[in-house]
Amino acid sequence: MSRFSELLDDFFYRPDEDVGGLLDFSAGSDEVLPLTPEETPEEYLAFILEGETYAVPIRSVREIGKVPPLTEIPRADPWLLGVMNLRGDVIPVYDLKLRLKLSDKAPVVAGPDAQPPPRLARILVAHTEEGPAGVWVDAVKDVVRLKPSMLEPAPSGLGGERDCVVGIGRRSSQLFILLDLEQALA
Amino acid sequence: MNQGGKALSDFVAEATEILDTLNKDLLTLDERRGQEVDPDLINGIFRAAHSLKGLAGLFGQDRIARLAHGMEDLLDRLRLGKLVLDDTTLDALVEGLDVLQALLVDASRGETSNTQSARVEGLVSRFTHLGEPTAPGEEDVLDRLELDAQVRAVFTEYEEHRLRENVRRGVSLWRVRADFDLSDFDKGLAELNSRLKPVGEIISTLPSAQPSSASGIAFDLIFGSKVSDKELAEALEGTLAQLSKLAVRPARATAPATPSVPPPAAQAAPPAAARMAASVPATPEAPRAASTRRSGAKKGKASKQPPPAEPEAPVVPVVARETPSPLPQPAENEAGSKGPRVDFDTSLRSLTQTVRVDIRRLDGLMNTVGELLLIKANLQRMTESARQEGTLMLSKAWVQELARETRQLERKLDALQSGLLEARMVPVGQVFDKLARLVRRIAREAGKEIDFLSSGGEVELDKLIVEELSDPLMHIIRNALDHGVEAPEARVLAGKTRRATVSLRAEQKGNHVIIEVSDDGAGIDEHRVREVALQKRLITPTQAAEMSRRELLNLIFLPGFSTARNVSELSGRGVGLDVVKNNISNLSGLIDVWSERGRGTAFQLTLPLTLAIIRALVVGVSGRTYAVPLNSVLEILSVQPKDIRTLERREVLDLRGQTLPFTRLARLFNLPERNTGRHFVVVVGLAQERMGIAVDELFGQQDIVTKPLGGRLQSVRGISGATDLGNRRTVLVLDVAALLEEGMGPERRWA
Repeated sequence: MSRFSELLDDFFYRPDEDVGGLLDFSAGSDEVLPLTPEETPEEYLAFILEGETYAVPIRSVREIGKVPPLTEIPRADPWLLGVMNLRGDVIPVYDLKLRLKLSDKAPVVAGPDAQPPPRLARILVAHTEEGPAGVWVDAVKDVVRLKPSMLEPAPSGLGGERDCVVGIGRRSSQLFILLDLEQALA
Repeated sequence: MNQGGKALSDFVAEATEILDTLNKDLLTLDERRGQEVDPDLINGIFRAAHSLKGLAGLFGQDRIARLAHGMEDLLDRLRLGKLVLDDTTLDALVEGLDVLQALLVDASRGETSNTQSARVEGLVSRFTHLGEPTAPGEEDVLDRLELDAQVRAVFTEYEEHRLRENVRRGVSLWRVRADFDLSDFDKGLAELNSRLKPVGEIISTLPSAQPSSASGIAFDLIFGSKVSDKELAEALEGTLAQLSKLAVRPARATAPATPSVPPPAAQAAPPAAARMAASVPATPEAPRAASTRRSGAKKGKASKQPPPAEPEAPVVPVVARETPSPLPQPAENEAGSKGPRVDFDTSLRSLTQTVRVDIRRLDGLMNTVGELLLIKANLQRMTESARQEGTLMLSKAWVQELARETRQLERKLDALQSGLLEARMVPVGQVFDKLARLVRRIAREAGKEIDFLSSGGEVELDKLIVEELSDPLMHIIRNALDHGVEAPEARVLAGKTRRATVSLRAEQKGNHVIIEVSDDGAGIDEHRVREVALQKRLITPTQAAEMSRRELLNLIFLPGFSTARNVSELSGRGVGLDVVKNNISNLSGLIDVWSERGRGTAFQLTLPLTLAIIRALVVGVSGRTYAVPLNSVLEILSVQPKDIRTLERREVLDLRGQTLPFTRLARLFNLPERNTGRHFVVVVGLAQERMGIAVDELFGQQDIVTKPLGGRLQSVRGISGATDLGNRRTVLVLDVAALLEEGMGPERRWA
């Protein structure tokens, strides 16, 4: 190969090349806020709970799956929906709506009287300090990239009695309520 | 796991093994305090320290290598008789082992704590200063022995020392001459060795200068023995060995004859000499550095964990008073006894998850897998033939063959399962040995005289259970030593033997192993227990009045209970028997206590053999499915509602004239009760407890693999884990021990 083609090669996109900056550039181009170039965006997973859009850092999510049959745990806290079997591991599944005071009664989703889960419902399996934990969500929406400048502190009073809500993400007209799963599942 | 992590875990596993051997041998040495020291034992410890040094060096664990080197040096001096094994030396060695263990914990976490480094330095210099060389100048007893100078010249330093020892103790020495044919002298020599070993000590094996024939080789074995001439002759009967006694001249008779033969060992045993020489400059010679470093270590410890450091101050005088041998340097002694306390918080759990498995067991498993593959091939062939036939009607022969293969498959899977379970089993003695050393140490420090007996160490349990057992057992034993056993004087006043007995016993009973810790101490005062429970409002006065003695004793397992009048450093640190009970429950075990005032206390643990795969009874309640471990199911009854009676608002059953407590699982678990007309009652039992659990349906038996519920769900009561019955649905496994406890004492719990 000639030296010329090597030089030329630099102009072409290689699959292993990091073009994150470029993508950001195009993604942020419709943004009203001025961007500081050295900001590194973080990926968040957005999901729906009772019609509201929440987001958690995608690093904290191990996997997303359809709702498997859940087994209720007798005499457990109401926000513990039950346990599921994930490839041989027993993983507890929690209801965040109770924690966030979005509803005051846990749905019956485990045991013999359980209704089949809604078509869009999913279980997020999150990493927590005490091992993996499942979280029931009504639907998974999207993966969004948010830069630190797009975040703002949470208005007080959000997130029930716990400090589960760490802030609000704003991307054009859309709002994401950012959750601290560790806190919400504690 | 990355390369470094793997190497580290290999190191930790191997070092743990060496430390276990060291521990065992030091324990034996400790037990025989004041007796004649077995040279083989010292040699064993010496070798262990030596291999640890090599291993640590290989893996760059400098601190461990350094300490092991110091120990090896000390042991070498002991071995060669340059140092007498007294209590100070032994204590130093034991402390060395403790520090090595702490260092290994550090290493396994990839930490380097300064406290431990300081302890290493302190110990190493203490080792060097131990036992200033015994005064020479005495007549060399070897000179009294009638041996050719030629022969003497080839003895190694160690052999010479052993020879000297034997002469000094007045053991008669023999020269055993044996002729062997060159072709098989190794076998003959080995046989001779094995015959001589039981009756005495083989000090040296030397090729003889005068072989009897051209094709033969002769050996002179220098042998020391206390048995009579006749017995020795009997031991050697049938061999070609000739005995001749080595005469020992009486002392002083020829004292000045050969006043100072230069020790031939210096040339004869270069490896030993070189080692000694090399080691001297390597160890620091600063004379008092030891004490300053130790005090530094103490400070480091105090700042690290202040709470335990404070209360131990008043304990020290007791230790000083009760130290068994009057040691001239109290400062040394105090520091020595303080050192090990740092370890009281370290667990006795092993650092590795490794299990040593007999290769034959693995071979057996491999064979089974081979046979399973054969079955799989057969099944494949049958599937193929069924597909080619293409008809729905399959031949009778084919169906029979399928049935046969399925049976085979089942049998082989059973074999595989039991083989794997067997591979997980380890003797409980592993924990017992570690505990034994702890007991001696605590007893010495608390000034109590204790005989520690342990039996049943060969009983095997799942590795997982053995590991989890060490902490609760340690706790119970500490309790026994601290609160149970009285001080020697108090025992004598009470008309008991001065020495107390603490025993640890394991025994297999069917599917369970029973471990008992008992002492012949003061026992538990149930009145005092009641008083404390009332004071702490754990029970109400009415309850207290109704409680039986046994129920009162069981109050000690309640959280927040401690009868210790003065909180000591050993036990009574806020973590009580409730934690022990929890640990045991997590293993699906039961704990029970027996005690009589003035006579002693016994704690009995009942544990399942394994937790890995169990046979379970699958039951249904209100449409839910649960599994009950079959090892705790005694029988199953069908009960009509009219058979259920109430006693003090508690439901009971009449079972062959005996009253059986009865619990409805649906009610216990707050499930909607279904009116089924009749109940199936699963009678469960562990240790002495019996209870009937009512369920709606029985689905049969199944082998299940229980998965723990994990850290987040640990607080769930009555459930020990979950399992998968093959239909993707998770089924919960009932924790029979917890349910029994709940069913037995509801008024205690929900008062």
